Amino acid sequence: MNYLDLTLSEIHEALVNKQVTPLELTKEAIKRAKENKDNAFEMIIEEDAIKRAEELSKHEVPKDNYFYGIPYVAKNNLSTKGYETNASSNILNGYVPLFDATVIDALNKAGAILIGKSTLDELAMGGTGTSGHLGTTYNPYDPKHLHLIGGSSCGSAVAVADSIVPFALGSDTGDSVRKPASHSGLVGLKPTWGLISRFGLFPFAPSLDHVGFFTRSVKDSAIALNLLAFHDDNDSTSSFKPKVDYLKNLSSDVKGKKLAVITEIFNSIEDEAIKSSFLKLIEKLKNDGAIVEYINFDNKLLNAIYPTYMVISCAESTSNNANLDGIKFGPYLGGKTYQEVMYNARTNGFSPLIKRRFVLGSYSLMRENQQELFLRAQKARRLIVNKCNEIFKKFDAIILPASPTPAPLEKGSNEKVRNDYLAADNWLAIGNFGGFPSITLPMGFEDELPFGVNITCEPFNEVGMFNIASNVEKNTGFAGLSYQNHLEKEVK
Amino acid sequence: MKKVNKDVLKDAANRLYFDMTDDQYETLLEEFDTIQSEFELMGQIVGVDEATPMTFPFDVSIDYLRDDVPEEPLKAEDVLKNAGNVKDGQIKLPKVVG
Repeated sequence: MNYLDLTLSEIHEALVNKQVTPLELTKEAIKRAKENKDNAFEMIIEEDAIKRAEELSKHEVPKDNYFYGIPYVAKNNLSTKGYETNASSNILNGYVPLFDATVIDALNKAGAILIGKSTLDELAMGGTGTSGHLGTTYNPYDPKHLHLIGGSSCGSAVAVADSIVPFALGSDTGDSVRKPASHSGLVGLKPTWGLISRFGLFPFAPSLDHVGFFTRSVKDSAIALNLLAFHDDNDSTSSFKPKVDYLKNLSSDVKGKKLAVITEIFNSIEDEAIKSSFLKLIEKLKNDGAIVEYINFDNKLLNAIYPTYMVISCAESTSNNANLDGIKFGPYLGGKTYQEVMYNARTNGFSPLIKRRFVLGSYSLMRENQQELFLRAQKARRLIVNKCNEIFKKFDAIILPASPTPAPLEKGSNEKVRNDYLAADNWLAIGNFGGFPSITLPMGFEDELPFGVNITCEPFNEVGMFNIASNVEKNTGFAGLSYQNHLEKEVK
Repeated sequence: MKKVNKDVLKDAANRLYFDMTDDQYETLLEEFDTIQSEFELMGQIVGVDEATPMTFPFDVSIDYLRDDVPEEPLKAEDVLKNAGNVKDGQIKLPKVVG
């Protein structure tokens, strides 16, 4: 056993008790990052991380600062001063930000140690972890590399699932933290829109974008949100709500809590292992006093989630990526006019998938199509969110399998638009439509691959969400799950 | 809605200042068969066209001004480090006016 195989709060305890130092942790994390074969890193930050760990190791570890001396990884679409941040896209090769994202700054100030920037689907605009410029990122649970981990926060998920670090930052525009969390046995959180500053996060679709993160326990997730949820003047959408202590309020008591299962989504799932695991969990929640009801949502609304997401996200992405022109940053490829300079940079810098997404956005915004596509998608979003808000008037949370399948095979998987499992595979996007807090955590295993359950609540009800998640974790017994810990358990 | 063909898609790409290969347009045209059937799903929602468009998850009112605190601007040489074509302390581009 190494300390990195523990959760963040357990590692913190070991640091406080001087059983391990920030330097030892950092060296081991870097060693593990280098040994990892899943294509999780755009960059491993060795020299600076070691220097910082040496400095931090000279001081007493503050008991009330859980992040002091903790190595962590950040998705490579979060700006880091002095370190290349390219969003796994060739159009941003060589771009070195001059400032830190607010979340990076907060982690730095807390004494956390950035040891690497992780791979992602190009510009965070994918869900498979296959479209970044370094190629496919694989799932640590399958050393044969047949299965994906999912995206877009693929590298960050690997880093936590493979016990390289106990915490990693990601971003979530449709399900980009919560879906890979499901495929890799992790706790993946996307909080209420506006709760964590997005300053320094490369925008994809700002009305849907969130900063999120991966941990290996619900307690760690609450600890991380305590650090990262605060108002930031640099983000005009940052919330002014007073700070809440999520750790202090953490409880697994679900007596009287009302949970809604969306019948149409649950019934559409064919995977027997996921279905039976979910039903067993529901029974346990009921035994602990929760009231669970199966409700109808409206299939027409559910089937519209995916196209609504595609139209809004692709349309917003076209303007948010207009600054990628090869002039101010990114490879300059020349041209006879400034238009040609931009044209060359963008034609060569974007991958075919991203271009197809942009074209979809551009098509949706054409004058002749706006009414039937972009505006209609925004209207559909309103009706889907209205329906969710109706549910939240009567229920504390929606609970459902996070994905209808365990991690998908790479073979046969691609980023082409498809419509199987239209609702069950895409329902997590309602969390982005309505800005709802939403957490995925491990629920079970099928053929040695983990799968997760998701809990989604009304805006700013993170306390309620953690409460239910904590009970689920108690009932599944998966707190602290990582690939290494799972293997050891299997051997025993 | 505009009928989809390669020219329309090429126009959509060119409006965003990039182009694709013929193969990529073909792939996208194939995808559009699925995409358009999915677009239609939005139209099947009862009352969708009467709804108010939603641009953000919930209302965010910005009714404050930040304090007017003087700050050091970024240094020109730092900003220019990320540009690929720089001359005499400025980003260089092809001439706009003859």
